[in-house]
Amino acid sequence: MNWIAQKSAQFFITIFVLIAISALPSLVVQLEFVPSNYWNGIQQQFSQLAKLDEITYYNVTAQRELPLLPDLAPLMKETVIIFMTSLVVSVGFALLYAYFFYRSGKRVRTVLQQTSQTLEMIPDLFWLIFSQFLAITIYKKTGFDRIEVAGGFAEYIRFLPIVTLTLTILFFFLKWLTKHILEEEVSLFLELARAKGVQPAALFWRHLLPNLVYRFYLFFRSNLITVLSSLLIIEYLFNVQGIFRFAVYNPVMPILLVILLVVYIPIFILDLVAEWLIPNAWKGGI
Amino acid sequence: MRRTLLRDPIFMIGFVIFVSLLLLSIGNTVFRDGQVDQFLNRYSDEGRLIGIPPLEPSKDQWLGTDRAGNDLFQMMIEGFKWTVGICATVALGRIAIGLLIGIPLAFRGGRVNRLFKMVLDGFLILPISLLAMMMLFSSLSFADSTMVPPLVDRVTLQLTVFVLLGLPAVTLYLITEIRQLLQQEFMIVAETLGGSVWHRVRRHLWPHLVPTMVIVFMQQFVQTLMLLIHLSLFGVFFGGTIYLFEGVMPTLFEWSSMFGYYFKQFTATTWMTSHMFLVPAIGLSMLVFLSNLLTSRLERAFRLRRQEAVVTEETISQAEAAAASLADPFTLVHADGKLQQNSKPS
Repeated sequence: MNWIAQKSAQFFITIFVLIAISALPSLVVQLEFVPSNYWNGIQQQFSQLAKLDEITYYNVTAQRELPLLPDLAPLMKETVIIFMTSLVVSVGFALLYAYFFYRSGKRVRTVLQQTSQTLEMIPDLFWLIFSQFLAITIYKKTGFDRIEVAGGFAEYIRFLPIVTLTLTILFFFLKWLTKHILEEEVSLFLELARAKGVQPAALFWRHLLPNLVYRFYLFFRSNLITVLSSLLIIEYLFNVQGIFRFAVYNPVMPILLVILLVVYIPIFILDLVAEWLIPNAWKGGI
Repeated sequence: MRRTLLRDPIFMIGFVIFVSLLLLSIGNTVFRDGQVDQFLNRYSDEGRLIGIPPLEPSKDQWLGTDRAGNDLFQMMIEGFKWTVGICATVALGRIAIGLLIGIPLAFRGGRVNRLFKMVLDGFLILPISLLAMMMLFSSLSFADSTMVPPLVDRVTLQLTVFVLLGLPAVTLYLITEIRQLLQQEFMIVAETLGGSVWHRVRRHLWPHLVPTMVIVFMQQFVQTLMLLIHLSLFGVFFGGTIYLFEGVMPTLFEWSSMFGYYFKQFTATTWMTSHMFLVPAIGLSMLVFLSNLLTSRLERAFRLRRQEAVVTEETISQAEAAAASLADPFTLVHADGKLQQNSKPS
């Protein structure tokens, strides 16, 4: 009961903060900070909250104002597809890499560590440009034109955005996993399991990994903003018809509020589910 | 620490590149008054017209010129100090304010901190560049180059917005770090012995915070750079965007603005083959790479320093064993820094 009260308090506080954030664009007027204008903006956003279905946006193709909410669903679908696919792919690759890293000897480990460290330093922007460049070069050389470099009005572009976002997230994960595997490897419970004759594969999947799951989730959660920033610029540059690109092209406060809510509420639910589903033992409790 | 870095060839190479670019850039302002040469048309020796801007990279213009004939190499040099200066200022500002808020809060109880974290949680899900774009767009786009307000006003506004938007994340991170340090044994001892808060912060917390702050500084540096790049791609250049008849124009020669500017010019045509677009793009990628490289070398140096100071369990047990097996209670346990292991009871 206490837990429910705490979580709902958190939910309402955050919704309030999100409204305050979404009103921030009204704070700056003609190179000055105007608090009174900001206050008006917050009030306006609050009244907007009661009539979310009345928000409209200017549709360039239809040349008129259209209601926002029904048109948001396909945009969200694109964003979610790209985000989830890259997430799943990169988590899969990261786990495979981690297992390989765990099983390999000292020399291979050094090579792996240095390679992933170097690759991790390359900004996502470079991957973005490089992948487009590569696609065009392939087209020029071989005439293979199945890779889209930019989306259009009714065309979906998925392959390159997913590749770019996957690369960005992947190197992020690799660094963290490597560090924590090295840390956990010397811990006593693994020593005991090894002494009892548990196979190395079981050591990794059954003993080491569950210990990392919750911490990994927390790490991912606290770095989500970086991933979403990458997603924003990827959507913008590849012309993906997703919500972030939509927000860039329609920079008004009501739409920002809707986008914030749309992003925050799934994350909040995910937080709840993670806290509820992940067993206490995995969180470091007894 | 300093010795580790001085002996680290990778760090030194990166550092020298960084400093020499900065010196060149400042030198361009001091000695040449920030001038960037313009080359309009190129003629052969017989006076025949062989090229119009944008000129391809050649022996005379190392990186080529843009459409207005500006030498790209000189523009990059001139812009470097702006880019680095902005990122460094923003990173420093965030850390300074973050410490001012974070240290007093970290000394408070757990409940205040949980509440604080809950309130700021909303800031951790929205891409900053989107919000910054919406806050700055209307103030920083000008329809006419004669109506641009003074540079100081524009830069102040932009820096303030950048610092404020990044502040929640930095503050939360610093608070977590400080609270972890506060739970260490030496901090508890310092508190038990009656050290005041100010004393504990200055003598005990600060030395441990410096490595964290250096790393956070480098991370924020890169993050600000990415923010600048995103904004310039959205059409908000640093220092303002001028909307001309034929398109947009930045007001400063600054790397991220150049990138966004040329990107906008070339998305319609064959932009991938253009050196104009690639020069700032590769330059920025190199800068991010360089900063990340320096960060990782610094991290390594701090890690090595910590390893030097660490007391391993082995030495503790050896000391205990030595203390327990003293022949004479007044024998020194440590004789010239080494442990006496061979002093068996006779």
